[in-house]
Amino acid sequence: MNRSLHPLVWWIWAGAMATAVAMTSSISIAIAVVGVTAIVVRNKAEETPWAASFSWSLKMGLWVIAIRVLTGVLIGVPMPGRKILTLPVIPLPHWMAGIRIGGPVTLERLTSTAHDGIMIASIIALLGAAASLSSPHRLLRSMPVMVYEFGVSVVIATSILPQFVTSISRIKQAQRLRGHESTGLLSWRRIALPLFEETLSRSLDLAAAMDSRGYGFTRKRSKYRQDRWTSKDYLLCGIAMVSLAKPELLVLVAAVSALVVAP
Amino acid sequence: MIKFSNVSLIYPNSQQTVIEDLSFTVSEGELVLVMGPTGIGKSSVLRLINGLVPHHTGGILAGDISVNGISTHSVKPGGLAHLIGIVGQNPLHGFVTDTVEEELAFGMETLNMPSDVMRKRVEEILDLLSLAPLRNRTIATLSGGEQQRVAIGSALVMHPKVLVLDEPTSALDPIAAEEVLSILHRLVHDLGLTVIISEHKLERVIQFADRIIHIQGDGHTRIGTPQEIFADSDLAPPIIHLARAMQLSEIPLTVRDMRRMTQTKRKELVDGSVLAPIENSKTESLVTLKQVTINYGKKNAISDVSLSISSGEIIAVMGRNGAGKSSLLRAIVGASTVDKGDVLVAKKNPFLLQGRERTQLIGFIPQEPSDLLYRQSVADECSQADQDNHVVAGTTLTLLQELVPGISSHTHPRDLSEGQRLGLALCVVLSGSPKILVLDEPTRGLDYSAKKTLVSLLKEIALGQERAVIIATHDVELVAEVATRVVFIAEGEIVADGPVAQVLLSSPAFAPQVAKVMSPSPWLTINDVIEAMKRNQ
Repeated sequence: MNRSLHPLVWWIWAGAMATAVAMTSSISIAIAVVGVTAIVVRNKAEETPWAASFSWSLKMGLWVIAIRVLTGVLIGVPMPGRKILTLPVIPLPHWMAGIRIGGPVTLERLTSTAHDGIMIASIIALLGAAASLSSPHRLLRSMPVMVYEFGVSVVIATSILPQFVTSISRIKQAQRLRGHESTGLLSWRRIALPLFEETLSRSLDLAAAMDSRGYGFTRKRSKYRQDRWTSKDYLLCGIAMVSLAKPELLVLVAAVSALVVAP
Repeated sequence: MIKFSNVSLIYPNSQQTVIEDLSFTVSEGELVLVMGPTGIGKSSVLRLINGLVPHHTGGILAGDISVNGISTHSVKPGGLAHLIGIVGQNPLHGFVTDTVEEELAFGMETLNMPSDVMRKRVEEILDLLSLAPLRNRTIATLSGGEQQRVAIGSALVMHPKVLVLDEPTSALDPIAAEEVLSILHRLVHDLGLTVIISEHKLERVIQFADRIIHIQGDGHTRIGTPQEIFADSDLAPPIIHLARAMQLSEIPLTVRDMRRMTQTKRKELVDGSVLAPIENSKTESLVTLKQVTINYGKKNAISDVSLSISSGEIIAVMGRNGAGKSSLLRAIVGASTVDKGDVLVAKKNPFLLQGRERTQLIGFIPQEPSDLLYRQSVADECSQADQDNHVVAGTTLTLLQELVPGISSHTHPRDLSEGQRLGLALCVVLSGSPKILVLDEPTRGLDYSAKKTLVSLLKEIALGQERAVIIATHDVELVAEVATRVVFIAEGEIVADGPVAQVLLSSPAFAPQVAKVMSPSPWLTINDVIEAMKRNQ
């Protein structure tokens, strides 16, 4: 049987890389690391419902960048520097002194907000990669008994996410076939209601099933097949730790990890 | 083994008791069937056994339930895990792990069993349920019947004394259903397991049941052997109704019983039998598929299918789970594009239809009818449909009241029973008066009376109003009642396409009960037989 990595490895790896990205605070490194991660995900992700998490996290990252830039430019203290354009200032009541909407937009302001946005987006992308590379179910089972209650809720939440995605497309399609085109905010209400209904009932079903199979009844659990740490697992975590010690080597670390897991 | 004494149950925020003063005892090694109309509380009875109700759902429980001498009042469901195995209505919702082997081990892990015991038991179960070839497979990729077997296996692996199953075959094709039921039968006989099962498709299970708990709508409950219950129960499979129509003194539970009892009567009938001539009215084709191929990635879902459907036809699309029925339906309604070939509905490409033009042409009821509904009440939902389809306000609601009388218009769609929800979705779709109506597995969770209403409605739509109806279903009894033509799909190809009698009679697994009893006479429904008897007199 082709043994895959320990389910915690990718999370440790992604966590370390994300921390390192935040530490370097360099856009080019962040983008390069996300690029390498994308290659890893493409090679390693299996045909599972959660494999799509990475592309979803990328989309979410783009939104984060857009929102960050937009709010940064519109609201807040102007930064001195080269003016690109001047937006009309929206007058606010006097008690909101110190806050300004609109006004001059400087290049410095634009680059600094874009920088922030990209940093956040790349961290989200790295965690998304971990989510798409490791099975949430296996993660649940490798949780130590100590953090068990907490682990259960986290893992159930993460395993529901991919179901969420498939449900959305299914409901969207049914709505389209009812003659409703799914555009605009109004269509969201149409999708959200059946979606939440289904997600809720699915979670209740899962909870009932786990309950009746004795989950959480005894504090101690045995393991059918221990998820053992192999040398490859240690190697990958070790490499990731290097990036914490020396963030400037981040791109190299990412590339080496990609080679380690390459088939 | 299981003892209910004066059990009554009421859910929170509800005025009506679900169960009133229910008492019964199930002894070891019995297979007990719980039956009753939809939404009557069958699932509640099953979930009371291991205490999921009320520990998990809330509600007030009066009386006492004990299993193997343990009262469920004092013990939570987890504490009964070693004693009771429970398999929910949709096993896919209850799986915790990804692969078959891990899923089987999961329950034992939570009970902290030593690893060598677990290894041994997993091997046993893999053999017992013939799951060995699937041991490393991802559960999500298994077929419905295989998933059901895994769910049963993961309950059995705990060596429970009681196995509880909520509609284990409702989503399965006849062959997979037979597999699952024969396994249950074997477990009861070989291991002395006590099995409690609920099922709508009675024709599949009554032959295995030792006793039946019949929950009637009016708060009464009857308990007895199948013979006692079916002596006068209205809720009965076709074979019982057939026996009544033929005025047999005994009550047959299997096709074999029935054939023995009717040996002479059938001989008399055969001579007078005439196969009703099939009207070959060649009207213009409403739906045309020309050499359609659909692929999902590398997987071939539909290959080179050509089909032509005219108005006035009711087409049943049948086949095993995963044969490509849903893919075919999705192509017809324009939910997905096709890789090769053409799909035309009234000379238009269904994939490009939008808005009003779509609702006038195609009505689609998906497997989960609730996907279509999003308003807060039945009345809102109906007026939304009126508005969408530019019809006079109140049209949809009137239609609904005709179809499913007794729905309060203030009810939230979620609180409707399965059958009522299907009715609502149907009315919403029908208010656009579409030329073709497409239904994906409409009878999952429907009882016989709801099915009857559906049958007469579909007939009215297709024959009375000159429209076409396409149904994908596993329910052979429904097909026998309603369809004019059957398209049988296997591995993405059409293997049979013809009048309903011809296709159903040629396959023993997909033949309805009446046909099996009356074979070789080509009758599919009780009405066919009654008419033949009339002709004979």
